[in-house]
Amino acid sequence: MASSFGETDQVLVEEKSSTRIFTLNRPKQLNAASFTMVSRLLELFLACEEDPSVKLIILKGKGRAFCAGGDVAAVVRDITQGHWKLGANFFRREFILNYVMATFSKPQVSILNGIVMGGGAGVSIHGRFRVATENSLFAMPETALGLFPDVGASYFLSRLPGFFGEYVGLIGARLDGAEMLACGLATHFVLSEKLSLLEDALCKADSSDPAVISATISEFSLAPSLKEKSACHRLNIINKCFSRRTIEEIILALEREAADKEDEWISSTIQSLKKASPTSLKISLRSIREGRLQGVGKCLVREYRMVCNVMQGETSKDFFEGCRAILVDKDKNPKWEPSKLEQVTEDMVDRYFSKINDKDWEDLNLPRRLNIPPHAIAKL
Amino acid sequence: MEKVNFRTQVLTGHLQNHRHATTTIYPSPCVSYVPPEISEQPFSFDVSSMRKLMDGHNLGDRDWLFNLMVQSKLFNPRLRGGKVFVVPDYNHSMEQQREITMKRIEYLLDHGAFEGWLTGKGPEAEMKKFALLEVIEIFDHSLAIKIGVHFFLWGGAIQFFGTKRHHDKWLRATENYLIKGCFAMTELGHGSNVRGIETTATYEANTGEFVINTPCESAQKYWIGGAANHATHTVVFSQLNVDGNNQGVHAFITQIRDENGNICPNIRIADCGHKIGLNGVDNGRIWFDNVRIPRENLLNSVADVSTDGKYLSAIKDPDQRFAAFLAPLTSGRVTIAVSAVYSAKISLAIAIRYSLTRRAFSITANGPELLLLDYPSHQRRLLPLLAKTYAMSFASNYLKLLYIKRSPQLIKTIHVVSSAFKATLTWHNMRTLQECREACGGQGLKTENRIGQMKGEYDVQSTFEGDNNVLMQQVSKALLAEYVAAKKRNKPFKELGLEHMNRSCPVIPAQLASSTLRSTQFQNDIFCLRERDLLNRFAAEVSQYQAHGESKESAFVVSYQVAEDLGKAFSDRAILQSAIEAENNVKDASLKNILALLRSMYVLVTLEEDAAFLRYGYLSTDNAAAVRKEVAKLCSEIRPQALALVSSFGIPDAFLSPIAFDWVAANSWSTVQN
Repeated sequence: MASSFGETDQVLVEEKSSTRIFTLNRPKQLNAASFTMVSRLLELFLACEEDPSVKLIILKGKGRAFCAGGDVAAVVRDITQGHWKLGANFFRREFILNYVMATFSKPQVSILNGIVMGGGAGVSIHGRFRVATENSLFAMPETALGLFPDVGASYFLSRLPGFFGEYVGLIGARLDGAEMLACGLATHFVLSEKLSLLEDALCKADSSDPAVISATISEFSLAPSLKEKSACHRLNIINKCFSRRTIEEIILALEREAADKEDEWISSTIQSLKKASPTSLKISLRSIREGRLQGVGKCLVREYRMVCNVMQGETSKDFFEGCRAILVDKDKNPKWEPSKLEQVTEDMVDRYFSKINDKDWEDLNLPRRLNIPPHAIAKL
Repeated sequence: MEKVNFRTQVLTGHLQNHRHATTTIYPSPCVSYVPPEISEQPFSFDVSSMRKLMDGHNLGDRDWLFNLMVQSKLFNPRLRGGKVFVVPDYNHSMEQQREITMKRIEYLLDHGAFEGWLTGKGPEAEMKKFALLEVIEIFDHSLAIKIGVHFFLWGGAIQFFGTKRHHDKWLRATENYLIKGCFAMTELGHGSNVRGIETTATYEANTGEFVINTPCESAQKYWIGGAANHATHTVVFSQLNVDGNNQGVHAFITQIRDENGNICPNIRIADCGHKIGLNGVDNGRIWFDNVRIPRENLLNSVADVSTDGKYLSAIKDPDQRFAAFLAPLTSGRVTIAVSAVYSAKISLAIAIRYSLTRRAFSITANGPELLLLDYPSHQRRLLPLLAKTYAMSFASNYLKLLYIKRSPQLIKTIHVVSSAFKATLTWHNMRTLQECREACGGQGLKTENRIGQMKGEYDVQSTFEGDNNVLMQQVSKALLAEYVAAKKRNKPFKELGLEHMNRSCPVIPAQLASSTLRSTQFQNDIFCLRERDLLNRFAAEVSQYQAHGESKESAFVVSYQVAEDLGKAFSDRAILQSAIEAENNVKDASLKNILALLRSMYVLVTLEEDAAFLRYGYLSTDNAAAVRKEVAKLCSEIRPQALALVSSFGIPDAFLSPIAFDWVAANSWSTVQN
């Protein structure tokens, strides 16, 4: 459990009695999860599991972000300079970390005081406790990037109330701390000014008992009110529209609602859907729908297949186009191909869920996890 | 103290068996639950590919409907051991079950689940409808039956017995539940023998109306699903009288309730009451007191009555007319056969998962208790049923496809195959449910664990849409007719899969080695041999009775023993052939391997269980012993794949039950307190 040296200072480690505090430390990159960071976290988590003196892990971010996502730009660079399999290495390590966190034997408290996007959600939402603050900003923006909500999102989004998960995952909707708490992405809401007190209290609690930890956090928690325009007030319409069988039907249902009444929220929702990659939308919807019926392990295995197919780019190269338009050239004007929903056939969607036809390729090999706590057993 | 030490040692044994981690922060319960996903070997084949093969079609539609149910409070989600399960509350009263069933239908309707069920055209629409109904069945049989009556029986009658004027008026209205239909065929005095029903429909030329009447108590319509509470319309089957002549059974549309749910004049309805299962379906009884309906309400695809009271039909022979009339109703038998297989899958998935986590007795001093499925006897109870369920799953897929491509030439085949499979698969399901219930011990008795309850819910399958025994007799009769026709014309067999009769009689080796027992050639041969020999015997016996002056009908009645054996032989052979075909179409070697094991198990356990093989000498006693030995061997070979095999059923966790998962957590004291 040595603390920082060399590359590993992408994660800062503090030991306070039986608590380990890990701080994601790439503030300039909004703590984007690099291969190094993900590897280091995995190493740290596995070590903590073996170490009987550790009872609790706190995960937080340095600066104004918790973690803005996987370092996708670096992945794309690796792929374009080398081979898509370099990208696969990153996602494999990241998904295994997600799985280890989801099945971790000791409680993880994530302090989400800032941006939590994509891969950032992956390293926090799977943990037992997620503390949102007034600075929290959550989104799974992958469909706008030509990707799909990964890092086990098909597991946790699909378990949000009703069809809110489809809404969040397809639209890339931004949620604040109050909304995260309302829909269950966060377990607690604490004002940022109380965070250091909370940290001290958790260390002092010196416990692995989820009930004790929950009670400790609750002492600092409050019930924030949802903003008037929150999507959480729109559950009825979200359930009605986002429960439809296909993306086309979802859009149609939204348009029918829009025809009934002038509503800015509906029209911006439709706009987001129309701007996203058609391929991404279709594979994302199917992934969430399958994920709702599967355990977290199966979800990650499926998502790994999907992400490999995305990177291989045989059906569509939207991921590269999306990264170009949003992250590299920043013209925010991606040219999706296929450009229309109806051009993305069932067969094309099927391909993303199939094994890669390459004798060196393997499905995600999840580590055999022993000593899983009861609440995590239910996630298998 | 000695006892305590012993117990400690046993517990240590358990822990060492499974837990290598150095820390245990959760108090270790006396008997710990270890998820089979962790304790079992990694899967040797891809379960999602296997699921694709088994479900066969419309996987995305299926998942969507599972999603719709899981996300709605109407489907009674309950948290057990950290997981959500959706299962109806069978502790509800009959009235509550009926009410919630209707609410669930409305929810599915509002979410577009029934779009295209009657207005959609072509094989794709039909396959989608089948797939969605299968998913609904996985949740609850009552819900599926209530929907099935409305769409497949009432809707099917309009579609198949009606003509354009009926289609235009009723199909869309039915699909949108603007009206609720039921199907009044069975009477108190007549069930499987539809031609004997006593309700009458008399045409009155002066008013241009039919008068529907229930002439006696035994003519009351009985078991009419939907009639007791909700249905507004019915198709009523009656003896048609035109001009003093009885023209046989015909179907008529009659309104029985108004839009406010009030029972119409001259209709009397009573409840069938509480049943051993399916209490979510409001079965009722109907009496018609000279109810007048317009002439147009006769469903006239096969026969019509003109305004001036002339009976018109293109089919002159009343037997053929009746057969043509009822042919489309095979869809009911198809869906029943398919749903029986899904029911068996649910119970096996639960019982096998439980047997991979529940232990009982240690067989070594101080050793850990053994997992249930590590007992060869427990394997022998469940794994052959698993293999049969696989074979029958392929058979039901074959049946669906056969039905979809129906044509006048295929009517006979569809009738025979659907009758045989409906009977065989539903009997298999009931047997499987009972075995699985027992295999789960006391836990199988809790309705939240589904299996025990399902025995009551599915028992009706051996009776409705044709009593199983009657259907099997019809199969034998049809085979005999084929036999007589072929012999008379001296032509080869070319239907009902009897082509093997044209070849020379297969020879079974005197000594059966393991490799022979597992070969498709031998398996095919012995099933064909049995069918061929029994058909010859049946023909000989019937003709012998006839030679002694018995009528054909009474000859059939007394030859019931061979008839029964023959029906089974036909059914088993047809199931095997569909399993072989499915296996042949698979390219992936790992799937092929496991399918071959299952196929061998299916055949060998049939050889072991069906006394006909010894009775008629297809197997010597030595070979029967070899078969028995091989079954045990196959059990141990299938055992490591058991989890993967039930995981391939495509039934989401939420539709299984608490004992299939962490049953210790699901039953912990903390769950009592909450």
